Amino acid sequence: MNKLKTWLLLGVFLLISLLATVAPYAEEAKITVLNPIGYSPPIRRVPMAPRLDALSGKTIYIVDVKFPLSDQFFVEMQKVLTEKFPQTNWVLRDKKGTYFDDDPGLWAEIKEKGNGVIMGIGH
Amino acid sequence: MEKLGKPTVPVITNVFEDLVKTIAFKKGMPDQRFVFVPHPVSGKPASTCREYLEGKDPITGKPVLQEIVEVLTKPLTEEEKKTGFIERPKPPRLAGPDAPENLHRLFLKNGWTDGLPIVLPTEEKVAEMLKGTSHKPDEMVAQMRPSAPHEAWEYTVEKVAINAVMAGAKPEYFPVILAIASTGVTSLFTSTTSFARMAVVNGPIRDQIGMNSGIGALGPFNHANATIGRAWTLISRNLGGGGTPGQTYLGSQGNNLNYNNLCFAEKEEELPEGWKPVHLQKGFKPGESVVSLFSGWSIIDNGGFKPYPFQEVMKRQALGFFTSGTGNCFKNGVPDSAALTLLLDPLVAKDLKENQGFKTKEELGQWLMKNTFKSTWEYWACRPDDLKKAQEGVEPFASWLKLPPGALVPVPVFFDSEKPIEIIIVGGRTNPFWQAGDFNYIASASVDKWK
Repeated sequence: MNKLKTWLLLGVFLLISLLATVAPYAEEAKITVLNPIGYSPPIRRVPMAPRLDALSGKTIYIVDVKFPLSDQFFVEMQKVLTEKFPQTNWVLRDKKGTYFDDDPGLWAEIKEKGNGVIMGIGH
Repeated sequence: MEKLGKPTVPVITNVFEDLVKTIAFKKGMPDQRFVFVPHPVSGKPASTCREYLEGKDPITGKPVLQEIVEVLTKPLTEEEKKTGFIERPKPPRLAGPDAPENLHRLFLKNGWTDGLPIVLPTEEKVAEMLKGTSHKPDEMVAQMRPSAPHEAWEYTVEKVAINAVMAGAKPEYFPVILAIASTGVTSLFTSTTSFARMAVVNGPIRDQIGMNSGIGALGPFNHANATIGRAWTLISRNLGGGGTPGQTYLGSQGNNLNYNNLCFAEKEEELPEGWKPVHLQKGFKPGESVVSLFSGWSIIDNGGFKPYPFQEVMKRQALGFFTSGTGNCFKNGVPDSAALTLLLDPLVAKDLKENQGFKTKEELGQWLMKNTFKSTWEYWACRPDDLKKAQEGVEPFASWLKLPPGALVPVPVFFDSEKPIEIIIVGGRTNPFWQAGDFNYIASASVDKWK
């Protein structure tokens, strides 16, 4: 019986010793690193334009931003919209240059004469 | 257009959903209304276009025409009317504590790496990197964006150091990395065309940090070349707000050169007499250390086998780039322009100087610009207005129209290019080879300034 007690005590002692040795290493294995991400700026919200009460009687520009070989899509868009909404004036315009270029003249025309815009983007 | 007070319907092909929503958010319209149609519309016949327009939006499942009407007429919600700022929380300075294994997983999962293992940027390692510069850790370096429509992010010296550590760079390389970062030029420029970049180092820093300009300079054989180039890509991802496929990176196929951005040093010692190193060509002084950045798409290798003079082969290479990359001739009516950068082994440079008589880099570049012509079909494809004139009998176009198929039009390819042909000397003289790329010069920065 005494022998059993001695072995039990020895076992408990060894277990405690083992835990005491391993625990600090487990803690040391954790490290802290620096975050590599930069700083993104705050975003100023742009309120959307008021919507139209109806399409009838309005002029809507369809602008081809000039992605390659997509002109047919906008020609068809004008046809389809004119068929479905004949009371609306659907005006098709090519933006000048490629899709990289600005076209202030066209934007000024739309501001003056248009009530809304459809802008086609993508190949 | 919304700013001009006009309700606007952006009609987008569906593969760009993530991109346009990301851009709309960054431009201040998180609630922007979109209508999507199937991708692509490019080159589709009228019947297919009509089918798309009369069909359903592939993202929302609603009829496209109904959505167009709703975008124009459905009254704005309170959210859509909001003004003011959307604040972006600063990222926490630290990540962890956690086991290194978990942190590696975190960096990979968050898209903070290039997919390869990185060195974890502990405070100790970053502090060591910062010893490579006299600049303070909190000094703002520059702003960077993935392309013009995107927002610019900003970053400090410490942020650049973190990414330099991740790339595996040594502190002595840090001034070169800071110089690259100071240009604000991203290496991950977003375009559907998969851009590549190139970083060329000149001046005493090349030897001081052991950069390779000789045998295998463009290959995976040199620690400085490899890690400086890699750091540029990590900076572009993490500090430049780019590199998220579908949102801030759109290259359809991607570009393998982005792993280290063709980073090497110019072999200045092997320049033929009269040929200036890149940094002197760009206005810097002898003795200065400079990094110069170039942008392009692709690169091809060529052996200088006689009987062709090297410059004649280079002309054909220039034409090879004409329809790709900066060739920019993908649609009728787009003016043709081109860019060409030649990376010459010293043996090639020596031959061009001694046997072909090109006294300077500029002389060779100008000769190529004046003597490279394209075929008739390529010319007419790019210049429909000239074709119309030719068909109306206007000279010299009418005469060119009579040329046999495959003949060359006597208008130099580079005639309207504002960019010079760039020539850089690199290589170990083991063979007279050179590489040609559709690259053009974009920026240089002083390395000394960042020591």
